[in-house]
Amino acid sequence: MLELAIGIILGCCALGAGAAMIAGIGPGIGEGNAVASACEAIARQPESKGSVTSTMLMGCAVAETTGLYALVIAILLIFVAPNMLVNILLNAIG
Amino acid sequence: MKIDKTVRLETVHIAVGELILSVLMQAVFLLIGKWSYTVLLGNILGAFGAIMNFFLMGLTIQHAVMLEEKDAKAKMKVSQMLRTFFILIIALLGAVLPCFQILAVLIPLFFPRITIMLRNIPLKKKGQDGGGEQGE
Repeated sequence: MLELAIGIILGCCALGAGAAMIAGIGPGIGEGNAVASACEAIARQPESKGSVTSTMLMGCAVAETTGLYALVIAILLIFVAPNMLVNILLNAIG
Repeated sequence: MKIDKTVRLETVHIAVGELILSVLMQAVFLLIGKWSYTVLLGNILGAFGAIMNFFLMGLTIQHAVMLEEKDAKAKMKVSQMLRTFFILIIALLGAVLPCFQILAVLIPLFFPRITIMLRNIPLKKKGQDGGGEQGE
């Protein structure tokens, strides 16, 4: 029974990590769209290249944070949460 | 390959922000009594990952703005995937090797976002004072 409970904990952690990484798709698409729009803007006004690049760099860094949140949650679910939850389970059983 | 002035300047800004916030994080670890050399090593690894991620993103953008829209989009997607993989390796090193404290590796990854947010506060205030003429 204990093995089953530990197995469920590990399985749920792995599923959670996988589900968290779905959020990693978003920033790639968002950054792609931002850069495509920036290309268009620079093509229209080549003199604004510096300011457009700077603004886009900041925007992309902010957008990328969403993917990093997902990555960090996934890493914590794989490496930190299982040990912690198994310890809680073992303490509860006594 | 010549690095664009904007990319260099923004990377320096992010690196300075990272340094200041890292010092603050070390101080917090010291105050709560959890400081050890693993925190310092983890912080260095995490900060290196965050700065390199930002710099590589800047280089990709520098190249992508010269391309056609479709190619730029594809280049950015591939770059984002590779950079996520790079960050994953950094995070895995922090989690697996005992000489790194995992939280000290993961927290500095968010410092560029905090630096950008803090940098935008004076700009926002300036914009409000100037009757909303200047935005971010």
